[in-house]
Amino acid sequence: MKPLYVVWLLLSGLTLLSVALGQGFHSANWLPLLVAAIVWVKGWLVSRYFIETQLATPFIRRLVALFIAFAPLALVITGFFGASIARWTALFIG
Amino acid sequence: MADLVLSPGPAQAGAPRVPGNKGIWAGITCEFIEFLVLFIVYFVARSHFPEEFRQGSTHLSPWAGTVITLVMISSSLCIAASVASIRAGRRRVSFYWLLAGLVVALGYPLAKYLEFRWNMAHGIHGDSGIFFTVYYYLTINHLVHAFWGILGIGWVLVRHYFGAYSAEDYSGLEALACYWHATDIIWLTIFPFFYVLA
Repeated sequence: MKPLYVVWLLLSGLTLLSVALGQGFHSANWLPLLVAAIVWVKGWLVSRYFIETQLATPFIRRLVALFIAFAPLALVITGFFGASIARWTALFIG
Repeated sequence: MADLVLSPGPAQAGAPRVPGNKGIWAGITCEFIEFLVLFIVYFVARSHFPEEFRQGSTHLSPWAGTVITLVMISSSLCIAASVASIRAGRRRVSFYWLLAGLVVALGYPLAKYLEFRWNMAHGIHGDSGIFFTVYYYLTINHLVHAFWGILGIGWVLVRHYFGAYSAEDYSGLEALACYWHATDIIWLTIFPFFYVLA
C-alpha cells in the first residue's frame, strides 16, 4: 500500500496536468475524454487510499464507486451525444 | 513519515467494515445524491448551451480553482494522516495532523472569497449567463458542505484534545475523515467542469 504522501503527490500532479491540458488544448475534441479519465483516477485514489473503500461494506464500496464513475461517464456521453441529450431533455423541460 | 500508511487494525482486517459510523455514511449518501442531481443539471445545461460552456471557463481564474483543489487534497492528506497516526497509537501526532488539516482547510473559504471578489471585479455575476449561474450554484453549494466539514473538523479537534480518541476507539475521527474525503471527491469532480473543460 502506497504511503499517503505519494497519493497526495499523484493527486497534485494530476491536478496540475489537468490545468495544463485545459490551457493548452482547450479546443481539442479528445480533451473531455482525457479529463474524464483523470477525474475517475483521482476519485479512485481518494476512495482507495484515504477512505479505504476496499475494506468497507459492499454498500459503501458500490456507493462511492458509482459516484466516482458518474461524472466521467456523463462527460463521455455528453461529448458524443450532447445534441441528443439536449433534444430529449427539452421534451421534459418544455 | 514511515507510518503514513492507512492499514486496518488487527481486529478489523479481513472483515468488511463501516469506516467511521453508519450515521456519517447516511449523511454522505445524501450528499452524493444531492450532488448527482446537481451534476445532472450541469450536464443538461452543457448539452443545451455548448457554446456558452465552451467559452465560460475562459473567464474564470484557473489559479483559483487550482489552489482550491490543492487545498482540498492537502487537507485530506492531513486528516488521513491523523487517522493513520491514531491507529498506530500516536495520539499527539494524530492531533497535530488534524490541526494541520483544519488550518489547510480554512484556505478553501479564503480562496473562494478572493475568487468571488475577483469575479465581481471582472463582471462575472450569477446572471452573467447560464454557465455562470450553474457555476455559482454548484460551487457555493459545495462551499456550504465544506463549511460543515470545517465545523466538524473543529469539533473533532476539541474532542481529540480532551482524549476522546484512542487506537481502540477512533470512530468519530474516522467518520469526520470520511465526510471530508467525500467532500474532496465532490470538488475533484467539480473542478474540471468549470476550470479545465472549455
